Amino acid sequence: MTRRAGVFVCHCGNNIAATVDVKHVAEELGKDQGVVFSKDYVYMCSDPGQQSIIDAIKEHELDSVVISCCSPNLHEKTFREASAVGGMNPFQCEIANIREQCAWVHKDKAKGTEKALKITRSAVRRVRRNEALTPIGVPVTRKVLVVGGGIAGIQSALDLANAGFEVVLVEKLPTIGGHMIQLSETFPTLDCSQCILSPKMVEVSKHPNITLMVSSEVKQVSGFVGNFKVKIHTKAQYVDPEKCKICDDCTPVCPTVVPNEYDAGLTGRRAIHIPFAQAIPASFYLDESACLGLNPVVCGKCMDVCEAGAIDYDVKPKTTEIEVGAIVVATGFDLYGQEMMAEYGRGKYPDVLDGIQFERLCSASGPTSGHVLRPSDHKEPKSVVFIQCSGSRDPAQHCAYCSKICCMYTAKHATLYKHHVPDGQAYVFYIDIRSGGKGYEEFVQRAMERDGVIYLRGRVSKVYQSKGKLKVMGVDTLAGKNVEIDADMVVLAQAMVPSKGTAEIAKTLKIGRDKDGFLAEAHPKLRPVESVTGGIFLTGAAQGPKDIPETVCQASAAAAKVIQLLSKPQLEHSPAVAKVRESHCTGCEMCVDACPFEAITLVNGKAYVNEVLCEGCGTCSGTCVRSAIDVKNVTQLQIFDMISACMGA
Amino acid sequence: MVAIEDIRARAKELLESGKVRSVLGYRRGTASVLAEPAFVTAPEDTAALVLDATCVENLALYLVNEKKRQKTQRSQDTRPLAVVAKGCDGRAITVLLQENYIKRDEVVILGVSCENGGMIDTHKLSRALRGKAATGAAFDGNGGIKVAFTAGETTVPAAEVLAARCLECTKAYPLVSDYFFGDKIDERSYSPRFTAVSAIAEKSPEERSAFWAGHFERCIRCYACRAVCPMCYCDECVVDSTSFIVNPTTSADEKACRIRWIQRSASPSENAMYHMVRAIHLAGRCTDCGECERVCPVNIPLRLLNTMLEREALEMFEYAPGLDPEQPSLISSFRDGDPNDFIR
Amino acid sequence: MNKVPEAVETRNDKNEVQDFEPKVVAFLCKWCSSAGSDLAGVSRLQYPPNAVPIQVMCSGSVSPMYIMSAFNKGADGVLVSGCHPGDCHYLKGNFYARRRIYLVQKLLKFIGLEPERFRMSWVSAAEGVKYAEVVTDFVKDLKALGPQRKLKAKV
Repeated sequence: MTRRAGVFVCHCGNNIAATVDVKHVAEELGKDQGVVFSKDYVYMCSDPGQQSIIDAIKEHELDSVVISCCSPNLHEKTFREASAVGGMNPFQCEIANIREQCAWVHKDKAKGTEKALKITRSAVRRVRRNEALTPIGVPVTRKVLVVGGGIAGIQSALDLANAGFEVVLVEKLPTIGGHMIQLSETFPTLDCSQCILSPKMVEVSKHPNITLMVSSEVKQVSGFVGNFKVKIHTKAQYVDPEKCKICDDCTPVCPTVVPNEYDAGLTGRRAIHIPFAQAIPASFYLDESACLGLNPVVCGKCMDVCEAGAIDYDVKPKTTEIEVGAIVVATGFDLYGQEMMAEYGRGKYPDVLDGIQFERLCSASGPTSGHVLRPSDHKEPKSVVFIQCSGSRDPAQHCAYCSKICCMYTAKHATLYKHHVPDGQAYVFYIDIRSGGKGYEEFVQRAMERDGVIYLRGRVSKVYQSKGKLKVMGVDTLAGKNVEIDADMVVLAQAMVPSKGTAEIAKTLKIGRDKDGFLAEAHPKLRPVESVTGGIFLTGAAQGPKDIPETVCQASAAAAKVIQLLSKPQLEHSPAVAKVRESHCTGCEMCVDACPFEAITLVNGKAYVNEVLCEGCGTCSGTCVRSAIDVKNVTQLQIFDMISACMGA
Repeated sequence: MVAIEDIRARAKELLESGKVRSVLGYRRGTASVLAEPAFVTAPEDTAALVLDATCVENLALYLVNEKKRQKTQRSQDTRPLAVVAKGCDGRAITVLLQENYIKRDEVVILGVSCENGGMIDTHKLSRALRGKAATGAAFDGNGGIKVAFTAGETTVPAAEVLAARCLECTKAYPLVSDYFFGDKIDERSYSPRFTAVSAIAEKSPEERSAFWAGHFERCIRCYACRAVCPMCYCDECVVDSTSFIVNPTTSADEKACRIRWIQRSASPSENAMYHMVRAIHLAGRCTDCGECERVCPVNIPLRLLNTMLEREALEMFEYAPGLDPEQPSLISSFRDGDPNDFIR
Repeated sequence: MNKVPEAVETRNDKNEVQDFEPKVVAFLCKWCSSAGSDLAGVSRLQYPPNAVPIQVMCSGSVSPMYIMSAFNKGADGVLVSGCHPGDCHYLKGNFYARRRIYLVQKLLKFIGLEPERFRMSWVSAAEGVKYAEVVTDFVKDLKALGPQRKLKAKV
């Protein structure tokens, strides 16, 4: 029990002194048992203020210090560092918040002072029983796992690899590229999407610091920041990427045809296929769910014709275990399901498409070689209706949020359509136009003014087929009348939703998701690329709808945060962790079950705390009925004393 | 009906074979009509074992006491202990297993079913006999308790003399056992569970306040309730800092750091604190053996506090104590749907 | 219509009659509720000074003993405030708090302590206004109830 406390009461100029009699607080505390030094000063956080702490510690041999001032969020670190300079253990310094939680919220000076006395006294009683603590050093593994091989994952992986870190990039599809590689051109510059992404994809495949694992998924994660152990499951790779020469002798002989995911279902592909020409790894891939049976008796034609001998039906899936220091989650998005917008004919009429399908039509490498043609009869549509906010901004039935990118890509689609079919007519139904980025507003205006796209402010109630046309029933609120358009094609700007598997990966990594299912950031402004779990970072559309420029920014931001984390030889973990009082512990395991971080195990019949995993939350202490576990420097006895002080004792 | 001969035979066999070091059961008491607990180590002494409506004690308590005694012994007989367990006792043993206080292989459970009977409440029996002293009481298998007294015997309806907890019991046999005696009967013909506590909960706040104030005033802090409870096995009770374990390594600082949460004086506020703390520490662990209420010298209706929390746990959290040794404890588990309305 | 609560008369140490000022202990979790209270301060919102805050790391660390002990030491009201469900900085602590504190408040009510004397709230770091409201409402309701005598230890 410490006995030489020093109390410093800050005026904070007039911020505290106006409504709290700080001199009186300092005087009264000076009379308390165990307080050998007590003073007030106008600005404790200033240089002379801090120096007075250093001097007092030395002169009066203080073993603990209470600063009665503003919120600890502001200056706890400052005063602890000053205490350390004075030669005292920094954890013997505690803050009493008499500004935000007292002086600023009460006008009655007498009552405010009384409350400030209680708050300060409470801190003094507490610090009396503080232990001297040393931060716990945690060694780190200088290797990073990036989950997801879209533009976000690719960017993060490259930034990290170029900074000298080893990176493992895990992608569940047989190729990286994500959705960006499906795009034709990107707004607002109309850059060819493949042209700007392919070089990065090649860089990933060639980078000495990056290990690329495709057809792979993260199955299990254990450990903690700086020291994760990850189990990755890789599907059986029947086609060896090292041997495949991409000669394409196999697809003509494969008897099975299934929808082609890369073309968003507009075309078919064989069971053995290359996802697209620029796939990385550059190799064909045998999809076992479509294959007739991997059995030479049943089929086996692809293996027969493969001169490179790259196909082997006996390959097994494998599980790899790696150790990494940090994880970047870039699992991306999907578009709102086909079955979700039945009122717009989605899933019913082949000429009602979503944005990605329209991209494929526009793309030179797409199913129609870049000509915009109707999937139903391959005729050129002369009238195309684009419906924005399809599934977004609809709290009653669909997604409440705005998907951010649809106004821009709809303008892009309408522009591209007009370039391909100059005599066609494009209509856009919108609620608002959200075009906040650089050059975005000008892009939309060009679509309206130069390319003659007709923008109608209103919603569409229904799309149905009649006499070979798609009838679109909507409203033009600015003109104040209903509108009915006979369209040859309808393109829906479907809402952006977290990609399939986001829920599972969040569970595997034990990170949270927000109310819409996107991965939750620790704080939107203070910590936008970190999850609440230490060492796990978020980037890209997995964290929320965003466009490619923002995604690239966020990916680099996540990489920067990882570099920050892993650049030190070891991490410093807060030492205010749980401690077991073995004499009272009966090994009932209630704390083991309750601990949110699984930091407690049973060893020799008693609870044992892994100090590196323990975050010091105190849930164990609140659960234990025997007072057998406490968090250092916030013990039950300290709280007991603080309650007494709050009651005015 | 449970045949006592079967229990005796099994107990004898376990002792003769050396599988267990002792059999903990009931034998005829000497103080009153109630049976008393007995540790039987010689096979021939198993003839003294009884099982009838006077076997009110919760033998799980003696498992705890045995465990504590063993810690002070130098040489250990590590063979398991066999114990006769009624439904409520069996649940208590399950909680002890759940909390790792005893290991499954340390105990051989001789589960007995109360079928449609139960244990008597001596006050109720006294009233029914109008002052005559009973010498024995057994369930007759037909809704009645056959009471023997010095001048003869009579049968009284079970509903009149069974203990309140037995009247409300919904599971009169243990779910975890090594050997089982009797029939597993789930249909019992008495009151619904939580009848007694519902009656109190329905009183107005003023009535309830006066009710408890009246009871807490009379508490003399004898701690009989704590002593008889198998779940109160803590070496140092939160209220009782003088029983703090002191060993050669205990520092003066540690001795000074014990928290005196509650005063030891028998004043109404401190009594209320003690009983509330005990109730909250037993939440999800108390299996309603009713012993605390039975042993209270001033007749405080203690089981009301515990069954009130048991009812909340069941209705709000779908949690019932003592069903499965693997279940988590009530307060170290939660569900997304836990009540939230009381929070602003 | 809410009846305006009448001030309860009490006598101070000098046996002078004065308006009853309830004493409240508020357990605030560091990451949400205490931050919310800080925000109330930054926004200069005004609320009654009766509640003295004790910052705990997580609402999950609040043991039932703290609440009962506060009443035993003479608190007229006890407030526990934490992060909203799903937002706990320590992932799950507030779920345990919710369950445990539900039982405590049921027990307090059962033995006859006025249930209005104990309050739990979810206040996030962004809810400075809510914190000020919670304290203001609490103090107002406590004034009508008068001093807590049932569990207060007699010295």
